[in-house]
Amino acid sequence: MFRKAVLVAGFLAVVSRVDALWPLPTTLSEGTSALRLSYGFHIAVSPSVGFPPLDLTEAIVQTQTYLLTDDLGRLVVGRGASDVSAFETAAYLSELTLTLKPGSEVNSITTEAQKPIEERDEAYTLSVPANGSAAVIEATSTLGLFRGLTTFSQLWYTYEGTIYAVNTPVEIDDTPAYPYRGLLLDTARNYFPVADILRTLDAMSWVKINEFHWHVVDSQSFPLEIPGYEELATYGAYGPGMVYTAADVENIVSYAGARGIDVLVEIDTPGHTAAIADAHPDYVACNDARPWADFANEPPAGQIRFATPDVASWTAGLFTAVSKMFPSSIVSTGGDEINQNCYEKDEPTMTILNATGEPFAEAFQNALNDFVGGTHSALKSAGKTPAVWEEMVLDFNLTLADDTLVLVWISSDDVKAVADKGFRIIHAASNYFYLDCGGGGWVGDYPAGDSWCDPFKTWQYSYTFDPLANLTSDQYHLIMGGQHNLWTEQSSASNLDPIVWPRAAASAELFWSGAGGNVTAALPRLHDASFRMQQRGVNSIPLQPLWCALRPFECDLTW
Amino acid sequence: MFLNAVFAAASLLAAVCHVDALWPLPRSLSEGTSALRLSYGFHITLPPDIASPPLDLIEAVARTQAYLFTDNLGRLVVGRGASDVSAFETAPYLPELTLSLAPGSTVLSITAEAQKPLGERDEAYTLTVPSNGSAASITATSTLGLFRGLTTFGQLWYEYDGTIYAINTPLEVEDSPAYPYRGLLLDTARNYFPVSDLLRQLDAMSMVKINQFHWHVVDSQSFALQIPGYEELAEYGAYSPQMIYSASDVVEIVSYAGARGIDVLVEIDTPGHTAAIGDAHPDFVACNLARPWADYAAEPPAGQLRMANKTVAEWTAGLFSAVAEMFPSTIVSTGGDEVNTYCYQEDPETQAILKASDSTLEEALNTFVMGTHGALLKAGKTPAVWEEMVLDYNLTLSNETLVLVWISSEDVQAVAEKGFRVIHAASNYFYLDCGAGEWIGDDPSGNSWCDPFKTWQYTYTFDPLANLTTEQYPLIMGGQQNLWTEQSSPSNLDPIVWPRAASSAEVFWSGAGGNLTAALPRLHDVSFRMQQRGINSIPLQPLWAVQDFAVVLDAHV
Repeated sequence: MFRKAVLVAGFLAVVSRVDALWPLPTTLSEGTSALRLSYGFHIAVSPSVGFPPLDLTEAIVQTQTYLLTDDLGRLVVGRGASDVSAFETAAYLSELTLTLKPGSEVNSITTEAQKPIEERDEAYTLSVPANGSAAVIEATSTLGLFRGLTTFSQLWYTYEGTIYAVNTPVEIDDTPAYPYRGLLLDTARNYFPVADILRTLDAMSWVKINEFHWHVVDSQSFPLEIPGYEELATYGAYGPGMVYTAADVENIVSYAGARGIDVLVEIDTPGHTAAIADAHPDYVACNDARPWADFANEPPAGQIRFATPDVASWTAGLFTAVSKMFPSSIVSTGGDEINQNCYEKDEPTMTILNATGEPFAEAFQNALNDFVGGTHSALKSAGKTPAVWEEMVLDFNLTLADDTLVLVWISSDDVKAVADKGFRIIHAASNYFYLDCGGGGWVGDYPAGDSWCDPFKTWQYSYTFDPLANLTSDQYHLIMGGQHNLWTEQSSASNLDPIVWPRAAASAELFWSGAGGNVTAALPRLHDASFRMQQRGVNSIPLQPLWCALRPFECDLTW
Repeated sequence: MFLNAVFAAASLLAAVCHVDALWPLPRSLSEGTSALRLSYGFHITLPPDIASPPLDLIEAVARTQAYLFTDNLGRLVVGRGASDVSAFETAPYLPELTLSLAPGSTVLSITAEAQKPLGERDEAYTLTVPSNGSAASITATSTLGLFRGLTTFGQLWYEYDGTIYAINTPLEVEDSPAYPYRGLLLDTARNYFPVSDLLRQLDAMSMVKINQFHWHVVDSQSFALQIPGYEELAEYGAYSPQMIYSASDVVEIVSYAGARGIDVLVEIDTPGHTAAIGDAHPDFVACNLARPWADYAAEPPAGQLRMANKTVAEWTAGLFSAVAEMFPSTIVSTGGDEVNTYCYQEDPETQAILKASDSTLEEALNTFVMGTHGALLKAGKTPAVWEEMVLDYNLTLSNETLVLVWISSEDVQAVAEKGFRVIHAASNYFYLDCGAGEWIGDDPSGNSWCDPFKTWQYTYTFDPLANLTTEQYPLIMGGQQNLWTEQSSPSNLDPIVWPRAASSAEVFWSGAGGNLTAALPRLHDVSFRMQQRGINSIPLQPLWAVQDFAVVLDAHV
């Protein structure tokens, strides 16, 4: 009998465990007391912040709004009915105070978010007493305060008009394991209206993703309007209504910044550039050449004539102009999937390469080195750090700056080789982090067609990724973090939310909380994050029947 | 050089003029290369010889007129129609489309026609659109045929800069479906879908001439259907009071479907998949919430009706009588998949009954199924069942029973050999949920049980008559794609279903053997038109490919 009672107690522990926070904080201590949000609840800024930056003020207003409008029933049977007895006598919380530690510099959230990777300060502490005295978020930057606000808003549920938490007192001391936690969106295969990007930025911020990797242009379309290079979008966009104007970019960048997100823009070069030919046919080799599969990984074929000095200097100028549009310290020059056959069949390129008198391979490599050197030094002059896809390091012997960021996309097996060359790494491997895989082939006339990167990457699988696998401990410091990626051959506004959410939250937690998380324990928290996203207007999908979501662990394999 | 020029001109022209519009492809289609503009005063006239046209036909006409003026679909070519201006700016205007029923046709509502038994549905029509501006016409022998013709007519038109035009007149279509049953299954029990989401699916279904909504309305996870006389089931078994289909919701859904040429086949899955009944009637359910669930059920939570219990069997038969009154369709499914025998072996009550009556589980199952099917037959319904009821048990099912094959298309032949009529619903071709990962918890490497993802291409290559003898061909009624919703909700309903479900819609309307490569541009067209009508159908390719003739994208080109 006694044993049985103990067993019941163990059951209770599971029930009262709160499955709310995503990503999981570095350290978390929570109680079992309920706490109600007072009708007069407000968020105060301590004098230590001085005159608060506008985006901090906006974040406070937004947080207060979420608290009152999330209207999320707790994910238990009854959706909170069973919490009534606990909260009906609970204390009211009337204030949350934001404090900066003495000596902290007061910048806008945006400024903090746009700092170089290694300088970003996202740490915070959050304390929510159970007795109704003021909750406190303390940090050494406004960005840290913002992360704390995000965590705070995940504590609350609504039942019949009462907004309450069930796990106070809460003490959190939190800081990310990795400084780079990203999401890539391709807006070139299919176009996405600005509103869809803004909604995605909102969802990113709720799981503390801090980098929007914007793969804005590609061979299929060039929707980015760049001052001085307007002809690229004029001729290369899908249509006049499918262009990101300079004003749109400003809007997106500032919307992101205010949500603690930096925007890393990528102009993929020299491959993936057929759309440039719509404005500058002379700049592009093997433009629309057939069969496309001989000249490119995807239709349409077309790559910048990088060996042509005019083209190389034009491209460097393009990056200078792009740099001015994006305050981020990082800009990507791409560099994936360069098709050599395209250049071998291109008379202007071969004329230039032959004139060097060097063997083809050497001449090709030298010309590519000059081209990349040009674009990267344009970035350097603009104060930017270049980012590249892994081929720029693994397939060619280029003289890249040591601080170049390398994104590994082909396979996580390639991480080790990049690390061995001493470069800093961002995990983006297709075998773990591609959101588009497993949805079937999109190339026509291909009946059996599955996607090239089958199978579908489940959230569970992404979640089990080990960022430090195969590395030596002295290489660990090279790992900056990672990102999920949505390539949009088969995506549009129609399926953006459901294909991204909540899956992209898996890497968000992995790179914030560190590897080794438990998939089984994570699921109820991921449900919580997903349901809250739905309440905030993001079409995140259910990972299980609602029956399971309301009964943590009861749909586990061995329950 | 000359040869080159001829080749280029001829092949390019051929590509441009070919119209990639109609889905499903009509049985016979002849189209010209003349443009035709829709007159601002365009109107559709009802058959003059019908004294009082059915209301749903009048509404279908109004809806078609509205679509013509609001679709606002730019043709899927570079310039989205700019290159058509020279062709249409001097084209005649079409002022009228006339609908007529062949002499002697009985005049019923579209709804009444759609709800007829499978063998009696008349969906044939002819459509003529002259290029000179004289009236277009649709003729049929039923209002349902006229409705199908209106749907086809609605797919001919594009919009550029305020002009609504077709580019492929004169047009002659003679059309009728290859198979009488073309369905879509939606599970509203694993996750709940508001009525508005169902209505939007019905709209999309009618766009591609799907004529059967297989509504898997309840299951072990929740019992969302409010049944008169059995209200306690939803009261206790639904996810919440807001997540219930009331009797009036059902009336609305059934009539909305009927007006769109769609019959609603409701399924109350029995005796398995019934744990949710245990919420209201715990005594009726064996192994209710038993653990480990995997021993007792294919999915959590475990729980199956105590079918051997006479009270339960009679109650269930009564339930089907009540359900039969809610749904005018001639078909009702009693389910019958995944009956877990271990659940009954471990249930003392079931074992006691079997022992007392000296009967086997199979005999008890037969009695149970005869009870539910007897109730349906009495209500004038044809029962439908999942394949196990025929392949795993020796039951005395009536010959007219419809059998849905879901486990594998390999099982079709065995069902046909038993002489039953078959509806294709095989997981290896027609499950829309496969390939998106495991939903069961605590299973890190878990993929979906029915991996891989079923691409529209793969579904499209399905042969409904594979492995059958010619004398078995008449048993094939058609088929359906199926959305089981363990990982679906309104958040991803449209994108997971569309345009993929259009694939089987064409297989079973136009017949098998369609050419994938040629189909893709037409599928783009219907997908984009769905988007224009508010359905979140997904893109199958980058817009670049859509505009530049998908053919160019083919792997070997």
